[in-house]
Amino acid sequence: MAWGRTTLSMAVAAAVFLRWMPHHGWFVGTLVAASAVTALGINFTRKRRFHRAIHGINQDAITPDIASTAAAAASLVVLAGLGIFTVLLI
Amino acid sequence: MEDLKSRSGGGRTGFSGRILRGGTEPDPRFTLANERTFLAWIRTSLALLAGGVAVEAFMADLFGPELRKTLAVLLLVLALLVGGGSFFRWLNVERSMRRKVPLPLPWTAPILAIGAALVTAIMVVFVLARPL
Repeated sequence: MAWGRTTLSMAVAAAVFLRWMPHHGWFVGTLVAASAVTALGINFTRKRRFHRAIHGINQDAITPDIASTAAAAASLVVLAGLGIFTVLLI
Repeated sequence: MEDLKSRSGGGRTGFSGRILRGGTEPDPRFTLANERTFLAWIRTSLALLAGGVAVEAFMADLFGPELRKTLAVLLLVLALLVGGGSFFRWLNVERSMRRKVPLPLPWTAPILAIGAALVTAIMVVFVLARPL
């Protein structure tokens, strides 16, 4: 559920970025694509995470999902960085 | 059950072993709760990101270009700090739980509070001060 809500937020962010298109041109497409790809990536790996959680609760030991958390945080840093670049330089 | 915990915790090797730096496996519900908290920070960061875009795109009638740019950059920098900081927070909490030591204080919380208050104060002042 929490990853699903994050997917939805990421899709909303992609839609909000579209509002920049008339002001900042085609470069904004990079931001839209990056957030849309992240949203799709989270959505397509949802089942794997769900099974990991179920398995972890059953076994009373779970592997922390380092790759997913690092990827989500990195995508946010990249999006915010590109956003700052867009505001200041484009 | 305790066997499984000590085996998977103590024997964790490779990338996750290097990142998590030993300790014993915590209750899986705590690990999952930590992940949910991390995602809440990520969504906060996304809201700040959308706020920055909205200020720059929708406030042309209300604020001048320089002020809009400043507010947008402030919100986007906050989004960057909260988004990046959330991963380190998640990692530090995970390590603390594994070592059974007190959880670290969230340093992103005061940054978010001060930044959001600052942006809101600037907007309120400029909305009140603009000529009707």
